[in-house]
Amino acid sequence: MTDIHVDCTINGEQRSFDVPRSALLLDVLREHGYTGAKRGCDTGACGFCTVQVDGDPVTSCVTPLAAVDGATIETIEGLGSQDDLHPIQAAFVERSALQCGFCIPGMIMRSKALLESNPEPTEAEVREALADNLCRCTGYKKIVEAVLDAGERMHSSPVATDGGSGTVVTDGDPGTEVSQKPTCKRDRSHQPSSGDHE
Amino acid sequence: MSTPDEPIDQTEADGEMRSETAKTPGHESVTSSVEKYDGRKIVTGEAKYTADYRNQFPELAHGTIVRSEIAHGFVTDIDTSDAEAMEGVYAVLTPWSVEIPETLYSSSGQSYPEPSPWDMRVLRRHVRFVGDPIAAIAAVDRETADRAARALTVEYDERAAVFDTETATDPDAPRLFADDEVENSQTGADYSRNIESAFGGEIGDVDAAFERDDLDCLELELETPYQSHCVPEPHATIAYTDEDGRHTFITATQVPNHTRRQLAHLFDIPIRDIRVKKPRVGAGFGTKQEMVIEPITFALHLASDRPVKLELSRQEEFSAVRSRHPMSLQIRGAVTADGELSAIDLYTRSNAGAYGTHGMTVASNVGTKALPLYPNVPNLRFTGDVVHTNLPMGAAMRGYGAPQGHFAVETLLDEIARHVGVDPLEFRRRHAVREGDLDEASAILKDGTRFARRIRSCGIRECLERGAEAIGWGSVDQPPESHLHRGVGVALCAQGSGVAGKELGAAKLFMNEDGSFSLHVGGVDTGTGNDTMFTQIAAAVLGCSPEDIIVTAADTDVAPFDYGSYASSTTYISGTAVKHAAEDAKDRLRYWGSKLLEEPESALETGDGCVYSEQTGESVTLEEIGYEAAYGHDEREQIMGHGHHSTDESPPPFGAQFVDVTVDENTGEYDINKLVFAADCGVVINPALAEGQVEGGEHMSLEYATSGTLEFEDDGTPETVGFRGYGMPRTTDHPPMETILVETHEPTGPFGAKSIGELPTNGVPPALSNAIRDAVDVRLTELPITADAVFEALD
Repeated sequence: MTDIHVDCTINGEQRSFDVPRSALLLDVLREHGYTGAKRGCDTGACGFCTVQVDGDPVTSCVTPLAAVDGATIETIEGLGSQDDLHPIQAAFVERSALQCGFCIPGMIMRSKALLESNPEPTEAEVREALADNLCRCTGYKKIVEAVLDAGERMHSSPVATDGGSGTVVTDGDPGTEVSQKPTCKRDRSHQPSSGDHE
Repeated sequence: MSTPDEPIDQTEADGEMRSETAKTPGHESVTSSVEKYDGRKIVTGEAKYTADYRNQFPELAHGTIVRSEIAHGFVTDIDTSDAEAMEGVYAVLTPWSVEIPETLYSSSGQSYPEPSPWDMRVLRRHVRFVGDPIAAIAAVDRETADRAARALTVEYDERAAVFDTETATDPDAPRLFADDEVENSQTGADYSRNIESAFGGEIGDVDAAFERDDLDCLELELETPYQSHCVPEPHATIAYTDEDGRHTFITATQVPNHTRRQLAHLFDIPIRDIRVKKPRVGAGFGTKQEMVIEPITFALHLASDRPVKLELSRQEEFSAVRSRHPMSLQIRGAVTADGELSAIDLYTRSNAGAYGTHGMTVASNVGTKALPLYPNVPNLRFTGDVVHTNLPMGAAMRGYGAPQGHFAVETLLDEIARHVGVDPLEFRRRHAVREGDLDEASAILKDGTRFARRIRSCGIRECLERGAEAIGWGSVDQPPESHLHRGVGVALCAQGSGVAGKELGAAKLFMNEDGSFSLHVGGVDTGTGNDTMFTQIAAAVLGCSPEDIIVTAADTDVAPFDYGSYASSTTYISGTAVKHAAEDAKDRLRYWGSKLLEEPESALETGDGCVYSEQTGESVTLEEIGYEAAYGHDEREQIMGHGHHSTDESPPPFGAQFVDVTVDENTGEYDINKLVFAADCGVVINPALAEGQVEGGEHMSLEYATSGTLEFEDDGTPETVGFRGYGMPRTTDHPPMETILVETHEPTGPFGAKSIGELPTNGVPPALSNAIRDAVDVRLTELPITADAVFEALD
C-alpha cells in the first residue's frame, strides 16, 4: 500500500507522518504515545476516542489520518497536568464524575468542544452534546453536573482552579502502578464550587 | 471470628465503635468524599490500561482470534498455509497446535476448586456456538493479523443445534457435551439432556402450605433476557516472559490470583513461575471475573516467542464473550386473608448458553439474594435448572442472579399486597427483614446451619420512608390528558458482602521515613474506587492523611493474596484486611511513640499525622518516628503491618428502588419521570464514590428493564454486534435520579461498612413493572418492558 504524507499540529506541536492511506487517526495517535484516546468500538459509536480537530469533536477511530492533513488536533494530553488541571478536568475530579475512567478522556474532549461553542449550556444541552459519548459506570449524573460546573468555572475564571499540587505518576515498571503522593497536606475532600444542578 | 447466626451485643459493638471513633481523629477520612486516588491521572489521560503498555514492547506482536461460524459441530480441518506464508505473521494456532493444551478447564475466576465445570479447551474442535474460538494469530500489526485470519480455510462437520432451554432438555435434543468432554462436580448435572446442573432447597413445607384452604395463592411467570456488560475497555492482555524466565501477564482482570492459578493448571507450569499484574482496568462488571483471553495470548506468546498483545473487539464483546444469563422464572406465593405471608415457591430455568461459566452459582443467587428480604416467611422453596444451548454463555454479571430474582420476588410481593388490599409500601414495611432476624433463606441451598445469617444491621424501613418521600409516594399528580396515567412503584433490594465462607483478602504495609506508608494489597480496583477506599481505611487507623498511603495493588509478585473483586467483596473483605494490617503497624507506632515521648503505650493514640498522648497532650510526628525507627542510635526497626481477613459472614446491604412512570394507554409507550434509590450500605465510606456506585448500578438496571437484550438469527448467528444495535442508555435516555444514603452500622464490617457495588443493579425492573401496574393496572413480566408489550397487555 502506498504511503501518504500528513502534516498536522498535535497539542501545539508540528507533527509529520508517512503512513498507509488507510491509517486511522486513533491508531496513529496511540502508536505515537497519545494513549489517552481509547479504543472502544472501532465504529465511532462509543466516543471513547474523541479528540478535537480544528475545534470540532471527532471520533478518531473512524477518522482517516489523511482527513486531518493541515489540521490542528487537540488530545487529552494537551489539557492540564495533574498539578495544574484544566477547569473541566478539575470539575470531573472534584465532583467524582469518573470511575473506571476509560470514557473520560473522550468525555472531557467532547465537553471542551461544547463549552467552547456554548459557554453556558443548560443541562439539556449538555445531555444532548454528550449523547454519543457512552459511560457504563456513572449513570452520567455526576458527569453532567461536572460539565455544568466546568462551564461556570471557565466563565468565572479562565485560569485553572486547582491549587497546584498533584499526584506524580512514576509508572516505571510496566503493569505495576505506583503513585507517589506529595507530602504537602492538601484538602482533597469533595467541595462542589456551585450548587446542585439536578 | 464471629459466626453468622450468633447474636451480637449491639450496644457493646456500638460502644466499641464509638470509642474507636473518638480516639481516632483521622476517622473522618473514612466517611469523607476524598478525591479518587487515580482521578488526576484519569482526567489527564495518563492512567494506563493494558493496551496502553504497548509502546514499552518494541517487539510486540498483535493477536487476533478466529471464531466458529456455525452454532454446533466439529472443526475437521483448518488450512493455515496461506496465512503462515504471509509476511509479518509470527504464529498461527489451531486446536491441533502443540502450544494448545488438551487440558479441560473452567474460565470462571472462582475459588479453588471452581464450582463451574471444567468444560472448555483453549481452542475448540467441538464448537458449541457462533463465536467459539477455533484459531488464533500473532502478527506484526493488527491489520496483518486480521488479514491472516481471513486467509484461513476452515472445514466443519456441522451438527444440529438447539437454541431454547425447553427443547434442549428433550432426550432427543442435540447433545452439547459427551461424557469425556466435561468434568462437573455440581449437583444435578445430566448432559444427556443438556442440564449443566440442577439444585433445590426448602424451609418448612411448601406443598402443604399451598394445599391449605385458608390461603390464597398468586403466581407469576417471568422472562429475563441476555444483557451485555458493555464493559468500556474490551478484554486486553499482554503476555511476555521476563529476563528471569517468569511468565508475565499485564491483563484487564478482576481476579489476578485465580487467573494465575488457573493458568498454572492449564499450561502445567508452577504458580510461582507466573506473574499477573493488573494495571488500571476499564471496568469489569463480572466479565473480567473470567480468564477469557489470557490462555490464547500466552499460547501465541509461546508460539511466536515474542511479547503478544490481544485486545478484543466490541463485536466480540457483544457476541462471543460473556453476558447475563437469560432466565425463565416461576414464582408463587400463599397469603392469608389478613395478609400474612405463608409460603413462597421460586423456580428458575437458566439458559447457560454453550458453557457452564458461573452457570449454577449465578442461578443459585436468584433465590439466595432476593428471598432474604422476607426471612420470616415460614415455608420457602427455591429450585432451579441450568440448561445448555448453542448460544453465547452467560457468566458473572454485576448482580449475579439477584436482578432476575428480584424481578420475580418483588413483582409477586406487589401483587400479593394489592390482592390483600394493602398499600405495597406498607406491605413491605410490615414484612421486610429487620435487624436481629435470623435469615435462613440465604443458606436455603446449603446443608446444615453454618451459613444461617443473623441480620446485624438493617436500614430498610428508613430506605422505604425516605425514598417514598423523595418520589412523592401517594401524592403524584395525574396528567391532565385522559389517555396518560401516572404511577409509582417500589422494589426492595438486597445483596451480600462477599461470598460467605469463600473469601480471603490480605494486605501488608510498611512505613517510610517521611511518615508515609506503602500499602501492598491484593484487592482489585476495576474503577469503582477500591484503591481510594484502602487509603481511607489505612489512614483512619494510622492517623495520617489518605494521601500519605501509597497503594500498589493486585500484582501477584508484590501484593499478597486476594480472591479478587467480585461478589461485592472488596470493601468488606479486602478493606478489613487493610484495616488489620494498619492496626498491626499502629502497634509499632505506639511502641516508638512510647520511646520518644517516654509515656506508656496504653496512653498513646494516632491522629493528625502524629502519635500523641491522651494524658499529657504531648505528640511526636509520624515523620519523626519514621526517621527514628530507620536510623535510631540504639535500636532500629522497619515499622510494618500485616493483615488478612476471611469470614463466614456476608452481611446484606439493603435498598429501596422507586420508579415514577407515565403510561400512554393509546400506545403503551411510557416515560420514566424519576428514579430514586435509597441505599443502606452500613457506614458509608466515601459518599461521593458510593453515590457513583448507586447511579451506575441504576443505569444498568434501567437498561435491563427497558432496552437491553441480544438478538440472534434462527441459526444462532448474533445480530447484536455493536452499540448501535444495543439499547445502552445514553445521557439523553436517563431520567432524573436521586440517591439517598441511609447510614447504619454493620458491626462486622470495616468501620461499620457493608457493600454497595451490586445492590443497585436489582431494582428497576420490578419497580418499573410495579409502577406500570399502579398506573394502568396491567402486570408486565417480560424484560425488557416494551411499549408493544404494555399496549398488548392493555388490549
